[in-house]
Amino acid sequence: MKIAIGGKGGAGKTTIAGTLARVIAEHGQPVVAIDDDSNPNLALTVGVDRNAASTLDGIPRDMLTERTDPDGSKHLVLAVPAEDFIDRFGVAVRDRLTLLVMGGPNHGGSG
Amino acid sequence: MRSVLGGLVEGASRTTIVDLEAGLEHLSRGTARYVDTLLIVGEPYFKSLETASRSFALAKELGIGHVRMIANKVRTPRDEDSVREYATRHDLPIATVVPYDDAVVEADERGMALIEYGPAAPSVAAIRGLADALLTSSAARGGQGGH
Repeated sequence: MKIAIGGKGGAGKTTIAGTLARVIAEHGQPVVAIDDDSNPNLALTVGVDRNAASTLDGIPRDMLTERTDPDGSKHLVLAVPAEDFIDRFGVAVRDRLTLLVMGGPNHGGSG
Repeated sequence: MRSVLGGLVEGASRTTIVDLEAGLEHLSRGTARYVDTLLIVGEPYFKSLETASRSFALAKELGIGHVRMIANKVRTPRDEDSVREYATRHDLPIATVVPYDDAVVEADERGMALIEYGPAAPSVAAIRGLADALLTSSAARGGQGGH
């Protein structure tokens, strides 16, 4: 399953996302919870110390590679398989549940 | 890092649950392409439902297959009726109704995960029901990781 959860700030999406991740992991499925919010709080709702969950902003550059689209735009993509990336940079929350925090308050802000 | 998100969702073989940036404007096509279920959280008042409705339209444009609304912080049967009525009128299928729950606020005040603070709280029970439904429909579609 590849689930995304959206909604207005304050609607409760982060609480629901974190709790849902915990519940699905309890069902025996391996889960990665990915925090793509620029104000990352998913750590709290999955039950891990926020300070234990560092963001991906500082990951080694050799984990990423630049790709040029047919329209000429360039962007970074994974240079390693996604599962390896998650194992390496994710925070183990508990059995079968891993947290990945994309970025902090500045992420995406400058383009 | 946003372009990396699409690759993560695409390549992960385990279940992925992405907590998106508020508002769907930041959801790129590159990421949306790999998401099989989008859940939009809305509250039972008109402005929030209008926002949810716009998100539905955007999600449709992005071509996401299953888009569902989660009606959150529903306090009264009247709240629930009005959400359901709005949802029916605007063709927004509801995945689940999560009741307003003091445990959510209390867990937050204590800096705790809701599921640890109130494992049997009504809001958690609703999310457990949602998980069951998602797992069932995923299995019906061919199981984990299936497209």
